[in-house]
Amino acid sequence: MNERAGLDRRQFLKVAGGVVAVVGGLAWAGRVLEPLPAGAVPGAPDLYLGGTDGWMYLPPTPAIPPFHPDVLAPSPLTTYIFGFRNLTGMDDTQKANQKNKAQHSAPLFWVNQFDPAHPVDFTVAVTNLGLALRPDLFDAHTLHWHGFRNVIPFFDGEPSGSVAVRSGREFTYVYRPREPGTYMYHCHVEDTEHVHMGMTGLVFVRPLQDGNTSYYPSGRYLYNDGDGSTGYDREFAMFLSEVWAEAHWADAHIQLPEWSDYRADFSLLNGRVYPDTIAPNGSVDAFNPVHDADGDLVPVPGFEHLKYQPHSSLVTCNAGERVALRFSNLGFREQAMTVAGIRLRVVGRDATLMRGRNGTDTSYQTDTLNIGPGESYDVVFTAPAHQGPGDYDTYMLYNRNYTRSNNLAPSGFGGAATEIRVYASGVTAQAHPNDWGL
Amino acid sequence: MRAPRRATTVAALVTASGLAALSIAPAAADTPPRIGIVCTTGTAGVGDHPVFDLTTTTGYISLPDGNTAFMWGYSSRFDSFQHPGPVLCANEGDTVTVILHNTLPEAASIVFPGQADVLANGTPARPQLNGSGVMTSLTNTASANGGTVTYSFVATAPGTYLYESGTNPEKQVRMGLFGALIVRPAVGADHAYNRPDSQFTPSEEFMVLLSEIDPFQHQAVEQGLSFNMNNYHPRYWLINGRGFPDSIADNYASWLPTQPYGSLASVLPYDATSHPYPGLARYLNVGTEDFPFHPHGNNGLVIGRDGRPLESPTGQDLSFEKFAINIGPGQTWDVLFKWYDAEGYDPVTNPVPVTVPSLANQEIGVFYSGSPYLGSTQTMPPGIQTLNQCGEYYIISHNHALFQLTSWGTNMTGPITYMRINPPTPNNCG
Repeated sequence: MNERAGLDRRQFLKVAGGVVAVVGGLAWAGRVLEPLPAGAVPGAPDLYLGGTDGWMYLPPTPAIPPFHPDVLAPSPLTTYIFGFRNLTGMDDTQKANQKNKAQHSAPLFWVNQFDPAHPVDFTVAVTNLGLALRPDLFDAHTLHWHGFRNVIPFFDGEPSGSVAVRSGREFTYVYRPREPGTYMYHCHVEDTEHVHMGMTGLVFVRPLQDGNTSYYPSGRYLYNDGDGSTGYDREFAMFLSEVWAEAHWADAHIQLPEWSDYRADFSLLNGRVYPDTIAPNGSVDAFNPVHDADGDLVPVPGFEHLKYQPHSSLVTCNAGERVALRFSNLGFREQAMTVAGIRLRVVGRDATLMRGRNGTDTSYQTDTLNIGPGESYDVVFTAPAHQGPGDYDTYMLYNRNYTRSNNLAPSGFGGAATEIRVYASGVTAQAHPNDWGL
Repeated sequence: MRAPRRATTVAALVTASGLAALSIAPAAADTPPRIGIVCTTGTAGVGDHPVFDLTTTTGYISLPDGNTAFMWGYSSRFDSFQHPGPVLCANEGDTVTVILHNTLPEAASIVFPGQADVLANGTPARPQLNGSGVMTSLTNTASANGGTVTYSFVATAPGTYLYESGTNPEKQVRMGLFGALIVRPAVGADHAYNRPDSQFTPSEEFMVLLSEIDPFQHQAVEQGLSFNMNNYHPRYWLINGRGFPDSIADNYASWLPTQPYGSLASVLPYDATSHPYPGLARYLNVGTEDFPFHPHGNNGLVIGRDGRPLESPTGQDLSFEKFAINIGPGQTWDVLFKWYDAEGYDPVTNPVPVTVPSLANQEIGVFYSGSPYLGSTQTMPPGIQTLNQCGEYYIISHNHALFQLTSWGTNMTGPITYMRINPPTPNNCG
């Protein structure tokens, strides 16, 4: 490829004129896009992720002997994981230092829809830092953007159909995200293991309609709806995953689990279980990452046990605001995510606006989202009036399968659960998704 | 096409590579296609009155971990055992007759979910009750050891359906007494429904029949022992009766003599003039829980479920795109799909906007051509072999309940298949 490096490929491009072909009138009324040039620039990627192993925290009691908590875990952590870390902007030493410092869930990131008028590629470099606890494994890693349409195998991250990243190497994935909505990403190498071990996160695409305040005052939307029906004031990503303690223990102890025995001991929301889900965010703005001098994550004071689980799930909003929740599920079981006391409107599923091919509105209201493995749901709700007493009213968001909103304890909430706090006023604008604005 | 005769066609059809070669040309009469749905269109009867003879048989299937499972099955006419049952294809409006010949040591039957006014031996098919008024079968049975029953119905609604045993189904369906029924619409066999927007490319019609196996249940049946369903726990999950990598072998692959149906999807890229219509995947779930099937790289447009198009009473389109086809037990979903070369990457005129690392620095997949570009190949480093033929793309589809991608301990098997995207013709795939 080096011989092509100096080539200005714009002069070679076949620009087809942005034809939207609906052939035969009815053959395929879905989106059809023509190839367009993009202003890709070799150099620093937009994001730089590292794949490695590490440890995270789940409530140590009740124990699941001998698997949980893992006796090898450095206190206060409990559970061996594989995961991604955001290495963007780090020097080589800092990057190398992040071996054995994986996080879960993987860094949340987002990107603007590819704009043919201002074509810019979005690039994510992935390096493989190796597995500190399992040097006997020489597993490669990849980045699979789950749901990305019409991808070529080279950028799909499915290792049999293309290539994977060996330890010490790196690979840059290039995306032109042409379809807004909520997606997820994960390593696809031996993906039963690497997905379950935690190399999973949420990614979403902002629509081109963003910035247009004529449909909704905030000018922020989930989709190119043309009518403001997906407009919102605040957005929160809700990434669902699971931990089968035996499988995590097995990887730490050079064992293999029997996957057909799978069970979800812990159900996680953004990589944590309730009440940790309502603890503050760590460094969660993927494009303004915060790390210490060594490159390590910086825990929120008082929440040192969540150092490698930086994503909060607490929803904060003012009464009357429209709130968007983006759900993706990379657990292995269906999740029944319920909000008590607030109706949700499902406006998107699997990065698709809820419209039939002739524009028929297929959105619907519900209390409970049954989200299968590999599915995503985009919902909006309007925060009800503040009732008090107190600064905020609390509504619960939880897995209605109560064995999944539980930390195996005889009583008490846990698992995939969080709170929605509705204030009368005073919650400030979000600096980034999942920002509390407090 | 008449019911295929396996013995006479296998030798001519199967390559030894284990990877299906391209076959775009329509198969000749009486020759089942190597890839795509193998229709059985009636073993007797005339015109719009097809007759299917189905015989219950026993046999074994091969599983990816090297194990075998004892199975029951429906076979066409009086052929030897196959799994799953033959894909019955009929046309809208046909009066379909299915004669069940039962060789099993217990009564067996067939129910046709989605079909109305089914007759059994000329009278309305009914749940069978014993002397105490307790149901013993969901429908009329063929008695054990040689009994026969004749079902008939008018195939009024086009779509994809299951047929399966209605007798002790927790045992007989699990043992393999199931298959697919396809009813083609009056408007033409290249449509899923009578809606114009359901047209598809006939050479790109595929079946995704998802099932599961608890080996202890099968062992108990083989040994004539009872099996406590409280202990039911699947250890294998299959697609079209096979687990990966068998799943991508040709239809009627010689090394899978009782599992005739492959699930490799072989397609050409969307092209406005030369290839305007999508492919059609007919999903069926005969398992006990939802199977979230995930086709990479192309969203499925779900246009029908359970043999009914997704439309409102006034004809408004209610179809929806999905990247996870989360299909429930007993459901069928009809899904249009295509792959579109969205960026048109080309090694000369439009290279991928990234420095391509040396192959020696990458972990190379067994289906990779060595090149990012459709239709291009690159010499592999020494010691690396590829199954790629002509720079075609392979994009995976798999169940995303990932713990089910196993065969009782052999990981990365089970319900996995691939979409093979062939370079635009002419190409070097032959």
